[in-house]
Amino acid sequence: MTDKMCMVVSEGTFDKAYMPLIMGTTAASMGTEVHVFYTFFGTGLLKKTAKPKLPGIYRLFTGMFQKKMKAVGIPSHDEMMKQAMDMGVTFYACTTTMGLMGIKESDLKPGVKVLGAASFLKLANESKTTLFIG
Amino acid sequence: MSKPWEKILLQKDATLDAKGLMCPMPIVQLAKKIKELKSGQVLELLADDIGAKEDVPAWCSRTGNTLVGTEEEGKVFKFYIKIK
Repeated sequence: MTDKMCMVVSEGTFDKAYMPLIMGTTAASMGTEVHVFYTFFGTGLLKKTAKPKLPGIYRLFTGMFQKKMKAVGIPSHDEMMKQAMDMGVTFYACTTTMGLMGIKESDLKPGVKVLGAASFLKLANESKTTLFIG
Repeated sequence: MSKPWEKILLQKDATLDAKGLMCPMPIVQLAKKIKELKSGQVLELLADDIGAKEDVPAWCSRTGNTLVGTEEEGKVFKFYIKIK
């Protein structure tokens, strides 16, 4: 049976956006089944229009940072999410947050699923590892 | 891999050049590349990300592929991976 790994993402800044993608694609490369659950401010990262910025005043340097990442082969947030999905990583939006923040299912990137806490906890219970990114 | 006879044994079937790429891209590309290869073939992976030094052996032990040799040439690490 393949190992499972879960991640919870609760923040929507650039750094919190990339961490689950880096960990997720790496784990998928190592044959692990990966599930990433986005809640609170993390949920906005799953929107089609998502353009995450670095936290605080560092947000001004986001473009520069992104250029540097591109130079070392790390794709844009949107591209990397697609790549992760192709590798079998599953992304879930928290239904409660969607309700609270007025995010509709049609606002989400294609391929993103919606999930409640109980279903996520079931996945987490079956996983060897759960990481919290927030 | 310093012994000359071991070098001769390291016949590679393919090379993946991941120089200039940083974690996690060398590992992500490695996982993609091995799908093109057959069991028993040897892939040469070139990387200059310092993290690869530990990451490639970890990836190999986790996925059941065998790291049959490593070499360091200046800043470039060479890994020889036998596909399971």
